[in-house]
Amino acid sequence: MEPVYAELEEGELELPAEPMHLNMGPSHPAMHGTVRIVLDLSGETIVRADVQVGYLHRGFEKMCERGTWAQVFPYVDRLNYVSPMLNNIGYALAVEKLCGLAVPERCQWYRTILGELARLSDHLTCNGAMAMELGAFTPFLWLVKAREMVWDILEEETGARLTHSFGRIGGMANPPSADFKGLCRATLPKILGLVEEGEKMLLKNRIFIDRLENVGRISGADATALGWTGPCLRSTGVAYDVRKAHPYLKYDEVDFDIPVGTKGDTLDRFLVRLGEIRQSIRIINQALERMADDGPISCDDPRFVLPEKDGVYTTIEATIQHFKLIMEGAKVPKGEVYSYTEGGNGELGYYLVSDGTGTPYRVRIRPPCFQITGGLSKLLEGRMLSDIVPTFGALNMIGGECDH
Amino acid sequence: MPTFKLDGKPIPFDAGETIIKAAWKQGVDIPHYCWHPGLSAPANCRMCLVEIAPKPGARPVTLDVLEWDAKAGTYRTTQKPKLQPSCYTAAAEGMEVLSDSSEHVRKARRDVQEFLLLNHPVDCPICDQSGECKLQDYWLEHGRYQKRMRDEPVHKPKGVVFGPTIVYDGERCVMCTRCVRFMAEVAKDPVLDMRERGNLNEIFVAPGRQLDGHYTFMTEHVCPVGALTTKDFRFKARVWFLRTASAVCQGCATGCNAHLDYDPRYNRAYRYRPRDNEKVNQFWMCDEGMLTYKQAHDGRLVQAKVRGEAASMAQAFEEAKSLFAGVPKESVGLVFSAAHSVEDNWMLREVGATVLGSRSFYASGAADGYEDRILIHRDKNSNTAGVKQIAPSAKALQALVEDVGSGRVTHVIALGAAAASATDALRGATVITVAAHQGPLADVSTILLPATSWAEQSGTYVNSKGIKQVSDKALEPLGASRPAWRHLLDLAGALGYEVSTTSLKQIRAQVLGGATVEALAPSPVTAPAE
Repeated sequence: MEPVYAELEEGELELPAEPMHLNMGPSHPAMHGTVRIVLDLSGETIVRADVQVGYLHRGFEKMCERGTWAQVFPYVDRLNYVSPMLNNIGYALAVEKLCGLAVPERCQWYRTILGELARLSDHLTCNGAMAMELGAFTPFLWLVKAREMVWDILEEETGARLTHSFGRIGGMANPPSADFKGLCRATLPKILGLVEEGEKMLLKNRIFIDRLENVGRISGADATALGWTGPCLRSTGVAYDVRKAHPYLKYDEVDFDIPVGTKGDTLDRFLVRLGEIRQSIRIINQALERMADDGPISCDDPRFVLPEKDGVYTTIEATIQHFKLIMEGAKVPKGEVYSYTEGGNGELGYYLVSDGTGTPYRVRIRPPCFQITGGLSKLLEGRMLSDIVPTFGALNMIGGECDH
Repeated sequence: MPTFKLDGKPIPFDAGETIIKAAWKQGVDIPHYCWHPGLSAPANCRMCLVEIAPKPGARPVTLDVLEWDAKAGTYRTTQKPKLQPSCYTAAAEGMEVLSDSSEHVRKARRDVQEFLLLNHPVDCPICDQSGECKLQDYWLEHGRYQKRMRDEPVHKPKGVVFGPTIVYDGERCVMCTRCVRFMAEVAKDPVLDMRERGNLNEIFVAPGRQLDGHYTFMTEHVCPVGALTTKDFRFKARVWFLRTASAVCQGCATGCNAHLDYDPRYNRAYRYRPRDNEKVNQFWMCDEGMLTYKQAHDGRLVQAKVRGEAASMAQAFEEAKSLFAGVPKESVGLVFSAAHSVEDNWMLREVGATVLGSRSFYASGAADGYEDRILIHRDKNSNTAGVKQIAPSAKALQALVEDVGSGRVTHVIALGAAAASATDALRGATVITVAAHQGPLADVSTILLPATSWAEQSGTYVNSKGIKQVSDKALEPLGASRPAWRHLLDLAGALGYEVSTTSLKQIRAQVLGGATVEALAPSPVTAPAE
């Protein structure tokens, strides 16, 4: 039998010219948060990448319109579920802005500390998971071990490791636990130690560096145009951080720097997060010094803040206060507000509309991930198939936030 | 119209009107417990106190008071304006009244609230008033203090049975005497009064009597707190789960306006509350009427029947087709119902008279009953006047019995099941009954079609004064029931006729001459929710 193409010269050999279609996700180990990318491949080069969010959809904003304002807290826990405390605080600040409430000094420090702990959790998870997806399993375990320590503190404070629902309109659910400061001071150096060990294993690893460097590059102008914020924007060299640009809580009273990248590639995003972990620890240490050991943690306005529980059981006044707040909800003044804070992934904005009743009329979320994921196809096109995992991982898309 | 100023806002008033009533008419609520727009004003709760600026040149009316001076650690004498009860002070031209804007008024309200709650039990979780209680509302609006008294509160009788319908709780009572005044002034039966003084003050029933009669439920509805509760609604539902529809009471021809409170989760009505309407029932309703909400569930027909056997709607229409085949139009009698809406009756006329060609009209309805000079009408049907407009020539049901006996009418289409006279003789005819409730005309029916009650459909009713009023839909139809007009429409279809009017909107356009529902409903007194 003669070979079919025996007479053809190699130069004439025709390969298929049609790009190959490939579905990546929505159920794929590296496509965390159930995102789907429909790829057109030419060989291993990505010709077109169609990024589709929406596989994790709960009708989040609509759900907020049926309970009371306070009942939104458990929902916002499930936005960026890697740093739920930041979402809690952001929402509380938004409602307080609408109500014209100012929380006590002690609560502001407490919120600052808890928020930065949540940011630690967010960045540790992102960097750890990205390393793992590139095959570096050990640093993942170390960083997640550090995250467990953060969660231990949060569990001690809130009773829950992940979905704390700890924020309240006009304060927090509980004051800091007795040994909150001691626990933080004992844990933070350990976390820093684990981070240092983990990064030693990665940043001197040729394979790891090669897979990140110059991959998924984006210019500062492009990132700004896409609406990027947070570490992803700062990796391009744009030093925009809500905590510095529009300080809230106590961020204008503490010293910290904004780590920025230079090239806007995946390695820069990895390094910016590592830098921010150190800055967060710096903020927490300053806040621990300045937070008072006693004093009120919540406002004392009975229109918004629940009474002490023992009073509810023994006096009619506190019973009424409890009843009105639970059954009818705090009556938030009629109006609208946009309030924004620095979430784990960037500017987390809440646009709230109140019709003056105990139930939100509209809760619109501006999740940082949504805009960032919108830029993913631009980062991928023209790159190789194997670049998807680190590029996507470094964007830190959280499905719960992309519920749109 | 003369005006005065309330917190700087001009409020018009009629001569002799009190400040609180003139403000209430403009939708401005001055907090109050004892004042009620339909009752006299005793000015005893002190919640509606306002500051009235002295006339130019006049000496201000002030009180000497002692004020704690924290710096000096002692009391010092000072003066504050003497506040006036706005429920008892007549408005005067150019008067400057300060309510929310006066610091003294705000403090007075807070202090009155503290007094009223001083001995109040911690009852909200078990109190039926919870969720619509003025003590709760005003504490959050005007109180916002925490308990200062640490002594054991004064205990008073709880669960006192006042009569067959009402239970009294002395500890929750704020002694506003609305119930006392209602019984004396509106029900004209001064059976309630108060005894003892101060802390021991309580409402009681005249010795040898109990709180009975036709207007006991109203004492519960005028009660601003949870002191009076009805046995009927007690512990049945929590008000925050209830939704409300604007209904018209079906108990008699007065057509009292009511709120029908129902729980959408169980599709169940729980109570009536009077809905203010100056032209019809002012603020009141009678006991019998208040209990008619039960008719939304009791004695209902929810399944089609053919000769007493349960049947599907299709079977019923099939049977109707064969029974009515070739029947001459003179032999068909139509029974209009004074208990059904104008729309239902109109559709019966459209189908029976215009399409089938019947000219024998009769009217059914419940028998007359008790009447008084307050609200209760002798005619126990909600829409007698409406039927008179639709079928002015309709004869009494007795005439139908005679016509069936004489063989002049052999086929009957009847709306509603109620009858004031004997109907057994109708068994000789073929009767199609479209009804919501069981009754004599349902018993004699050959074919029975289940209709929705007034609570499950929007309908127009004409009361004894000729006022057209719309009762809104509250519940979803029970079982297989559907609006009667829809059954009649389908019946026409089954008999091979076509009726061009197929929606409630079209019926209304025809029957009411294009008047909108909003135009029909007599405008209620503008007032903040009681």
